[in-house]
Amino acid sequence: MVYLDYSATTPVNKEVLESFDRASLDYIGNPNSLHKLGLDAKKIIDSATKQLKELLHLHNEEIIYTSGASEANNLALKGVCFKYANRGKKIITTELEHSSIYGPLSFLQRHGFTVSFVNLDEKGRVDLKHLESLIDDETLLVTISTVNSETGIVQQVDEIAKLVSKYPKCFFHTDITQAVGKYPLPQNFFEKVDFASFSAHKFYGLKGIGCLIKKESISIEPLIHGGKSTSLYRSGTPTTALIVSVSKALRLALDNIDQKYAYVKQLNTKIKDALSKYADVSINSNEYSIPHIFNLSVLKIKPETMLHALEEDDIYISTQSACSSNNTKSRAVYAVTNNEEASLHSLRISLSYLTTKEEIDTFLASFDKWYHKLNLR
Amino acid sequence: MELIVISSVWCPSCLIMHPRYVELSQKYHLTLTNYDYDTDASIISKYHVGDILPVCIIVKDEEIERIIGEKSMKELNKIIESLM
Repeated sequence: MVYLDYSATTPVNKEVLESFDRASLDYIGNPNSLHKLGLDAKKIIDSATKQLKELLHLHNEEIIYTSGASEANNLALKGVCFKYANRGKKIITTELEHSSIYGPLSFLQRHGFTVSFVNLDEKGRVDLKHLESLIDDETLLVTISTVNSETGIVQQVDEIAKLVSKYPKCFFHTDITQAVGKYPLPQNFFEKVDFASFSAHKFYGLKGIGCLIKKESISIEPLIHGGKSTSLYRSGTPTTALIVSVSKALRLALDNIDQKYAYVKQLNTKIKDALSKYADVSINSNEYSIPHIFNLSVLKIKPETMLHALEEDDIYISTQSACSSNNTKSRAVYAVTNNEEASLHSLRISLSYLTTKEEIDTFLASFDKWYHKLNLR
Repeated sequence: MELIVISSVWCPSCLIMHPRYVELSQKYHLTLTNYDYDTDASIISKYHVGDILPVCIIVKDEEIERIIGEKSMKELNKIIESLM
């Protein structure tokens, strides 16, 4: 099997799973209980949280544990908009966001908020001048993902944060799901943003846990009201073993991250060099993309046809991001190519430090076979 | 005349078009019915909606026009006025 869909999800790291197992068996108490077993569970959660904060260089931020990035995105967007609706009702976003951003935005739109889309430049990055013209005293929230899941293009978080900071009533949220654990975020990254969301299963952690990082000074309206938890803003019995596992997963993902990044870059270059030679292939990722995501379009072959053809050879890639599975054009690809055909035929190959050079050779050979076979039909 | 709009929460074009259809319905006093592409799948199956969203079906006893994807307010006004 050749798995090239690491941006959809990653296989859990065995050590992470062992940590989860150990914590599940050893810490059976409810962290909210007052007895020793409860206190032991609370202690291990606190220690995992402390480690996560150190790994992410958090100082004045709170970590809210959620079921994943989708819940974290929902909590950030609805939480801040309902809390501060009196400040303004304008939200700014891009056409490159995940459905777990568009979902709450649709919901908020139906509750009186307005949603504006900032233009992208020819490289698929936010047009900062346009953002400057859109943002005003009525703007409550700017939500822009750090890395686009389809093309891997990294946004200018620093510059966006600088613009937002000119409006003290406005908050900046960024979805960092495709960034965390893939490259080292700048040490002061979280000082610049008000909210950031991610999930653990994108960096070899378990599915079912994510985090919303929030400036401690900002309060939000919870989505889930109820019993005591690790945060005022997300009720429910704390998931001790999952919390331990996310901390472990991040620590392992960040180990030798520079070497892992350089290796993935080599793999990316190998694919790029090989696929650039095909007349009907458009390469959609660009110099601003992380090497882990390689987006291309095979112009005369339907993306799902190519995906299933490769699957016959036990090779797994994806069409658009897995959460927007219908067959429409990719806005992310259209933004960088300005080409309707390319945006209707995009495929995503996503790489990991676990990917071997032999796997890339296998993929390239299979791609070549199907490219010629399907093009002749 | 009635506007039946089929949209989805994961679709940015639907976010863009939603306030325009609300404005259009208010301006021309049209009944606006919203359906969700995923959760109302059984209700909307009769409309044979394709892959591009949102879809606005304009009904006057029967379907008289179908608007697919993004349109400007100017284009929407023109379509409605031609049907009135």
